Amino acid sequence: MKPNTSRRAFLSAGLILPVVGATSRLGLANSTMGLLQPSDATDKLQKPAGSAVKLDMRILGNTGLKITTVGMGCMITSDPSVITRAADLGVNYFDTARGYQHGNNERMVGAALGGKRQQIVVSTKSPAGDKASLLKDLDTSLAELKTDYVDIWYLHSKDKPEDIRDDMIEAQHIAKQQGKIRFAGMSTHALPKQLEWTAQKKAFDVVLTVYNFSMDAAMDEAIATVAKTGTGVVAMKVMAGGFRSVKPSDPTYERLHRDGAMLSALKWVLKKPHIATTIPSMTDMDQLDENLRAMSEAYSARDEKILAAHLEQIKPLYCRMCNQCEGTCQKGLHVADTLRILTYADGYGQFALARERFQELPARHAEVRCGDCAECTVQCPFGVRVSDRMARAQELFA
Amino acid sequence: MRWACLVAGLLIVPGVAGAQDVLDCHFVSGWEPTGTKRQYTPDHLYDYKDGGAEGYLVYGFTRMQGVDCKAGAATLAIDVSEMGDADLAYGMFAANRDPSLPVAKIGMGAQVLSQSLSFAKGKYFVEIVETDGNPTNNLTAVLEGFAGRMEKLLEGRTTPPAELDWFLKDDLVSARMVPESVLGLRILKHGYVAKYAQGQAFLVIEDSPASAQAVMSKMREKFEGAAPGGIADESFQLKAPYLEGMCVFRKGRYLGGYTNLVDGTAAAAQAAKLADRIPK
Repeated sequence: MKPNTSRRAFLSAGLILPVVGATSRLGLANSTMGLLQPSDATDKLQKPAGSAVKLDMRILGNTGLKITTVGMGCMITSDPSVITRAADLGVNYFDTARGYQHGNNERMVGAALGGKRQQIVVSTKSPAGDKASLLKDLDTSLAELKTDYVDIWYLHSKDKPEDIRDDMIEAQHIAKQQGKIRFAGMSTHALPKQLEWTAQKKAFDVVLTVYNFSMDAAMDEAIATVAKTGTGVVAMKVMAGGFRSVKPSDPTYERLHRDGAMLSALKWVLKKPHIATTIPSMTDMDQLDENLRAMSEAYSARDEKILAAHLEQIKPLYCRMCNQCEGTCQKGLHVADTLRILTYADGYGQFALARERFQELPARHAEVRCGDCAECTVQCPFGVRVSDRMARAQELFA
Repeated sequence: MRWACLVAGLLIVPGVAGAQDVLDCHFVSGWEPTGTKRQYTPDHLYDYKDGGAEGYLVYGFTRMQGVDCKAGAATLAIDVSEMGDADLAYGMFAANRDPSLPVAKIGMGAQVLSQSLSFAKGKYFVEIVETDGNPTNNLTAVLEGFAGRMEKLLEGRTTPPAELDWFLKDDLVSARMVPESVLGLRILKHGYVAKYAQGQAFLVIEDSPASAQAVMSKMREKFEGAAPGGIADESFQLKAPYLEGMCVFRKGRYLGGYTNLVDGTAAAAQAAKLADRIPK
């Protein structure tokens, strides 16, 4: 690994960058504002088709940062021009992380946004597990992003209270004192689990959490609790993740895109007042244009229908927690609990949490195999394929 | 329990036997396995690559197998990911390497640092990373030792995608595969981008000349007002926002061109050279 000083010098020299094109683009954008003005030959790349961009801004908790409700998750952005254009159109929250593409992502974001640093909020994250490594990561992030500070610096993917050590909080304090970060944050895929710790310690200015239409009321309560402490809440995986995991070969893929399901999912999150902004991943200009519409279009009955239809599709998998199945399993298994736990893994991608919760169930849950029963005595009134789902939980966690 | 193990085994093992075989800490003397072998599918890669799983999924990730190896205070995490195909595996490698550092000849290409090594061979993307030892350790020889043994066992192509070789070599900074939305344009579904000291070149492969023609037609709609480029089967050039001086051409089922040059004419001059290198 190169020392930071040489890396900084190397970057300053503007030599080899993976996004040389972006750098040159940016320089031109700064020097010739004409690029932002309508032109008969190029208008189609400047604005979402048919309308000017209407920006919706919210305040990020006690940070006071005024940010667009649609931010940009840069992790899988395919071309820096998409990032530059998002900033040109007024999006002012951009999220990356030290680990994305082994640093190439931060480098791309830095090159794409460098000339607009004062007008935007940049967040990055480090997965490091101790103070020294965190601070080293931060210096690398600053060099790659070509900035002297990041606005929000998250401890990356902290899903259990014990993932956060005191020296990690200390690292964030030091970074603040040194002026390298403005605000400290934590990203998590298990907010309810982190809730008590977060509320007690009051260590973070901002929390970045998974949040989408497929989640239950417990997540709403968790977010409200965090927001009431003045902690800013940023939502990720707002498209329910599932839209990306649905592959192009899947029969539902085209329909999800055609029906505007992704936009509906984003609008669903934006109607929640405790969410200050969102960071949907955007890979191209079309996606950017579509997502920006969420700031100007209200969540409608049509959106409700689209999302309901999507939930309907996962109905055979999705437990409504009505508990009508309780006590009906001939082997004495807690069916609703098991299905809820399975949803953590299949629905929200929280495999670790799911496995842990499964192991907390009575021992028979790890011993019984649904396939051994000739006939399942549990009938779900909503059509969940109980036997199949229970067998999957046993395969995954037992 | 045995039933469950057998079922799990049946579900997981087919198609990854290659990865299982190459996960052996004893490939390098003095290293021992620690913990159990791990395996992930797209459903729960999140559990391991928390926050980074999407970066794998876009390259057609299908499964990962891994093991931790320990020697003294140092631990190596060795992971073998199976991607959609060899091109996607190379794409994953190229996206995650530092383009300012050289590519080593292991499989289709490798990046060797003092505490990490990655390479792609066939549809496999391999990562070997020192995780908790002394950050000043130089483990290059150990990493290369593991990679050398693993490379021999993994099946598949050892050459990068042929299309990368069509890019002009002068002033080339880096070249990579783009799994979706080349140049940030959704209609350019997937292809390759080469960065130069000035500007960038791109290639998009369509299924047939007819489908390439249809894409070209949509591109003309998007970039209306462009001038003819006079290259290959059809082409246009203009100066556009973000992509600046650009030229796009179609040659058979390939679309290619240059962007981010000073104007459309300059882009067309470079694009003509690129078109000449694409076989008919």
